[in-house]
Amino acid sequence: MLRGPDARLRFVNVLMIAVLLPILGQLVRLQVLERSRRLPEVEELLQRPYTLPAPPPGIVMDAHGELLVGNVPIYKVGAEISRGGGISVVGNVTRTRQVAEELAPLLNRDSEELFQALSVPPDAGGRVWRPLAAAVPADVGEQLMQLRSERWGWLTLEMEWQRYYAEGDLASHTLGFVTERDKDGQQGGFGVQGYYVRLLSPLPVVGRGEVDAYQVPLAEALALGELRAYPGTDLVLTLDRTIQAFVEGELDWAMQEYRAQGGTILVLNPRTGAILAAASRPAYVPYEFGLYPESEYPLFQDPVVSSSYEPGSVFKVLTVAAAVDAGGVGPNWSYHDSGYLEYGGVPIRNSDHRAHGQQNLQGLLDSSLNVGAATLTTRVLGAESFYRYMRAFGFGQKTGVDLVGESTGILHFPESEFWSDSSLATNSFGQGIAVTPVQLMTAVSALANRGTMMVPYVVAERRYPDGRLAVTTPRPLGTPITPETADYLAELMEKSVAHRLTRAQVPGYRIAGKTGTSQIPIPGGYHPVDVITSFVGFGPMPDPEVLILVKIDRPGIERHLRWGTQTAAPTFSRVAERLFVLMGIPPSEAWAGP
Amino acid sequence: MSVLWRQTTHGVQRRPETASRTTAKLILMGALVAGLLAAAFLALTTSTVRLSGEIWAAHHEMARIQRANSLLEAEIARLSSIPVLQERSRALGYERAGTLDFIEMGAP
Repeated sequence: MLRGPDARLRFVNVLMIAVLLPILGQLVRLQVLERSRRLPEVEELLQRPYTLPAPPPGIVMDAHGELLVGNVPIYKVGAEISRGGGISVVGNVTRTRQVAEELAPLLNRDSEELFQALSVPPDAGGRVWRPLAAAVPADVGEQLMQLRSERWGWLTLEMEWQRYYAEGDLASHTLGFVTERDKDGQQGGFGVQGYYVRLLSPLPVVGRGEVDAYQVPLAEALALGELRAYPGTDLVLTLDRTIQAFVEGELDWAMQEYRAQGGTILVLNPRTGAILAAASRPAYVPYEFGLYPESEYPLFQDPVVSSSYEPGSVFKVLTVAAAVDAGGVGPNWSYHDSGYLEYGGVPIRNSDHRAHGQQNLQGLLDSSLNVGAATLTTRVLGAESFYRYMRAFGFGQKTGVDLVGESTGILHFPESEFWSDSSLATNSFGQGIAVTPVQLMTAVSALANRGTMMVPYVVAERRYPDGRLAVTTPRPLGTPITPETADYLAELMEKSVAHRLTRAQVPGYRIAGKTGTSQIPIPGGYHPVDVITSFVGFGPMPDPEVLILVKIDRPGIERHLRWGTQTAAPTFSRVAERLFVLMGIPPSEAWAGP
Repeated sequence: MSVLWRQTTHGVQRRPETASRTTAKLILMGALVAGLLAAAFLALTTSTVRLSGEIWAAHHEMARIQRANSLLEAEIARLSSIPVLQERSRALGYERAGTLDFIEMGAP
């Protein structure tokens, strides 16, 4: 039909154009006209999400850089099995049994259980993933990786970081723990780790891009280094592990010696607010928090910041400080102690039920006179002034310490419906008021630090993964009293220890302190027998470097010995004596010899 | 410059055709440039892929080193932990110090 080469050439040309035109048209349609609609489909086809290997969470160290909480890699082991040649994956029944027997000692599991896990039921179709073991140690994980690359390609290994508590359950309340992420990606926790959970936890780095046949991402973001996995921020605490271990040992001794049900010892630097040691009993094992039943979850709360209690007579130093600072009383002030005072319809008696005659401030503190303290609030200060000082001392408010679960304590002000006239009298000696140990310590630190309270803190440094270093600067929380008032109160407290509280003394060191014995409120009144004994003290005077609170809950010794002077004061003395040595603090006075 | 020629193919006299050498050169150059660009793009893509692979491998290597480092840190901490040190000290015959007395030294 087609004659001549020209005609045939034209025909071929037309044919080629006819073939190419639809292709070109399709290209224009897909690439230009329907680009926006087609792009997601194409991305879905070509791009895959990928995750960079998980970097470790931040570690926690003590003040000298000793590791307290680190990380160890663990593995979640599974098998991706498929039906092939019968019921099993891995080949056949005999082969599966061999694999199960080989895996059993590595995973510390029964071989029969593993055989069942590796076997595919007849009704299952396609590929199935079976978990084989969780929290497999790193060395076994490495062995399994080797086996996977050599023989067992069906084995799946997912690396996770597990927290490692280098000192066991030391400082468990302060260190706390972090829970796993919930379905919304949120994490919670307790202690300092719970407080700094966002800093400690690295964020999973997820990218999306093209991957090759081995699922290795080809994404530009990876090549350009835009995706980087940063580990968590490391924390350096103010705690000293040696002091912490010693303090915990002393608390355990006191618990045993006084047959107590619980207790707390808190050591703080009053100049900076740095917490040097914080021990509470009963404690828990932080790396086994998942094993505790729900009924024992209250154990996870740190009593130092979460548990409030009636401080009792320890509180009198603050009442006296307020009265002195307000200008109502001074060295020349005195009152007649008849052993009894009625205010707001409530009778107030001294703890020894005795009258002490003419007393000054020194006598009030030495004999811990309830009537004297109530006299100060009801006749000298008045409600407005007293509660203004209590607010200034931080009661009823959080201190801002960097630990999870801080409570505000309970202090009813005159405008509160729970306040009554009698509160002004009972609050003066620490009754009808609830404080946390850290709150009380912060308030008393004003007496030891020339009138200034510092914000208590446990994290001294934050070491960011990009190399930045953030050192915590001590911050003043407030100045509730003048330096002169603070010095005067410290002098009164020092004399009190020197003359009356001999059990709290530390040979060679000048100590200021005050005991407390408080009843435990129960519905309808106070517990008839149980008490909380405490001692708060600082030293060495005149330039105190440590402030210590010893609190012993419900000592079970003879009733006539359940006093702060009999229990908390000697414990304070033991703690302070060794602490001064550990901290290299020289004695206040020259050694007189044995 | 254009050239006119007559061509005889398989004995068939063809009409004179006009062709431009410049056009031909331009087409050739265009093809060459396109080829070079394609080659450069391919080289770039290959390089990106290779680089991505290397970075991916480096990430895994870094993760492996981090794991090894964390394990070593944990082991050092275990060996220097207070209970281990106490046990070791006791084994060496050390005992907890009793009362420590400070001796006041005179000024030099």
